Amino acid sequence: MATYARPVERLITELSKLPSIGPKSAQRIAFHIVRGRQDDAFGLADALREVKEKIHPCKRCFNLTEAEECDICRDTRRDQSVICAVEDPYDIGSIERTGEYRGLYHVLGGALSPLDGIDPENLRIAELLERVQREETKEIVIATNPNTTGEATALFIAQELEDSPVRVTALASGLPVGGDLEYADEVTLGRAFAGRREL
Amino acid sequence: MTVYLRALRLVNFRNYADATALLSPGLNIIVGDNAQGKTNLLEAISFTVTGSTPRTPRENEVVRWGEDFARTEARISLDGSTDERAVAIGYAPGQKKRITVDGAPGPSLTNYAAGGAGARVVTFFPDDIRVVKGAPADRREFLDTLLSSLRPAYARAVVEYAKAVGQRNQLLRRIRDGFSSERTLATWDRKVVDFGKVVLEGREAAMEPLEEYFRDSLRVLYGSEKAAIRYSYTTTLGDYSEALREAHATDIDRGTTSIGPHRDDFEVLLGGVNLTMFGSQGQQRLATLALKFAARDYVRGMVGEDPILLFDDVMSELDESRREYLAGYFLESTQAVISTTNLEYFGSDILQRTRIIRISGGSILETATNGVRK
Ligand SMILES: Nc1ncnc2c1ncn2[C@@H]1O[C@H](COP(=O)(O)OP(=O)(O)OP(=O)(O)O)[C@@H](O)[C@H]1O
Ligand SMILES: [Mg+2]
Ligand SMILES: [Zn+2]
Repeated sequence: MATYARPVERLITELSKLPSIGPKSAQRIAFHIVRGRQDDAFGLADALREVKEKIHPCKRCFNLTEAEECDICRDTRRDQSVICAVEDPYDIGSIERTGEYRGLYHVLGGALSPLDGIDPENLRIAELLERVQREETKEIVIATNPNTTGEATALFIAQELEDSPVRVTALASGLPVGGDLEYADEVTLGRAFAGRREL
Repeated sequence: MTVYLRALRLVNFRNYADATALLSPGLNIIVGDNAQGKTNLLEAISFTVTGSTPRTPRENEVVRWGEDFARTEARISLDGSTDERAVAIGYAPGQKKRITVDGAPGPSLTNYAAGGAGARVVTFFPDDIRVVKGAPADRREFLDTLLSSLRPAYARAVVEYAKAVGQRNQLLRRIRDGFSSERTLATWDRKVVDFGKVVLEGREAAMEPLEEYFRDSLRVLYGSEKAAIRYSYTTTLGDYSEALREAHATDIDRGTTSIGPHRDDFEVLLGGVNLTMFGSQGQQRLATLALKFAARDYVRGMVGEDPILLFDDVMSELDESRREYLAGYFLESTQAVISTTNLEYFGSDILQRTRIIRISGGSILETATNGVRK
C-alpha cells in the first residue's frame, strides 16, 4: 500500500530500520525532513556519507576512528599494560567520562548470545587473546554489560585466559554514587553486598 | 501486626470505569450476582499491591474494553496508626508500568512485588486448584511467587535463571545442528548454576516450614490423616555442576536442559496418597486452600506481618462446618477480602463483624460495616 510518493516511502522505510524508531516515528521524521530546509537535509545526507566513508574500526582495538589507529591507542601516555574490554564503541565514551581509567580498550562487538546466534567467532575475542600475548598485557578489565549475555561473555573470556599469567578483573556492579543506602534499589544493594571487598 | 488496605480506587480496570472501595481490617465480603465484578475487584487489589495480575499472563486484558490505560490506587495503613502509604499503578499496554509510592516514582517492578507497597497478598482464585491438580509448572509457580514476594534476590534469580536456561537450550540445539561448537557450553553451565543455586537454596529453605504449616492447616480443614509436601529434585545443590556436565550428551541430543529447578516439582501427599494423581476434587480443593494458608503462615514467619488474604468464591463448594471454620479464620485475620454471590453462607454473628461491599455492573453500590472490629 503506497500511501505516499515513492521517494517518501523509501525514506520512511530506511528510517524505520534504525534502532528504537518505530513506523510512526519514521513517518514523523520523514515529513519533518520533507518540509524542512534543503540545506539541513543535504547536511544530514553528507554526514551519513562521510561517516561511512571515513570511519572504520581501529586496527588495534576496534574503536571507531578516521585514522589507522584510534586516538586512545596512539596516546603513549596511557597505560599500555591494561586493556578494558567493552561490548560497543560507545561504552568507551561512558568509561572515559569517569576520568578514572588510563589504560587501553578492546571493543568486542557485542556479547555471546546463542539466542541471537552469536558465538565467540562472531566477536573479537580471538583478537583480544592474541593482543594479550603480543602486547604482554598485565591486566584485562572486563566491562561488558551487567546482564545475562554480558556476564556470560565476561566469564567466557576469563575461562579462556585461565592458564595465562594475565590478571582478569571485572567491574564491581555496585551502588550508584551519590545515593544513600536507604534509597538504593534492593537488587543493586544485594549485589553490592554479595560483592563486598576487603578494606 | 496491622498492615491493611483501607481504600482502593479503580479507573478503567476490567468492568470498572471509576470506582472506590473502602475496606476494613478483619473480614470484608464482596457480594454481588454473577458477572458483576467481584473477581475483578479482588484482582485489582492484588494488582495494586504486587504490580501485576495473578490471573492471566496477558496483562492487557485488565484494561477496560475500549480504553487505552488502567490505573489503580490504594491507601495502605501501616502499624494501625494514621501512618498511611499511597501507592498507585498506571498501566498502558506496551508501556512500562508507572508505579508510584507516596507520589514519588516507585522501585522496579521486581522490588515492588517483593513488598515495595508495604503489604503482601496471598490470593486464592478458583482456578488455583491447579497448584495441586495441575502440572509441575503450576506448583513451581506457587513457590516462586511466594518466595519472590519476600526476597528481591530470589525474584531476580528466577528471572535470570530462566534467561540463562533459554540461552543454554538454544546453544544445545545449535551444537546438535552443527551451528555452534561446544566451546561456550561450560560458560552457560556456570551461569545456569549461579542462578539455579539461588532458586534451589530458596526453595529448600522454605520447604520445611511450609510443610509444617500445610500439615497443620490440612488437619483442621480435612481431618487427621497425615499430610505432607515433598520436594522432588532433578538435582541437588551439592551435585548441581557435576550433574549438569554429565548431562551434556543427553541435553545436546534433546536440545534442552534436563535438570535443574525448572524441572523440579513437589508432591502433595495425604495419608501417603499423591493428591495430584489420586485426589478427589474436594481433596484437591482443600489441599490447595491448605497450601494458601501455609503461604500466609510462611509470610507471617518471615516478615512478622500478615499478608492480605484475597479469596475468590471460596465458600461455594464447601460444606457448612468448613464454611464456618473459614469464616472464623478470615475474621481473625489482619485483613481478608473474600467474594460470594450468597450472603446466606454467613451467620448473623459473623456478618455483625464484617464489612459488606455490594457491587453491581462494575459499580460499588455501598460498603457497610455492621460492627466495628476492635
Ligand atoms: N477488560 C474488561 N473490560 C470490561 N469488562 C470486562 C473486562 N474483563 C472482564 N470484563 C467483564 O467483567 C464482568 C465481571 O467479571 P468478574 O469475573 O469480576 O465477575 P464476578 O462478579 O466475579 O462473577 P462470578 O460470580 O460469575 O464469578 C464479566 O462479565 C466480564 O466479561
Ligand atoms: Mg468471579
Ligand atoms: Zn584503538
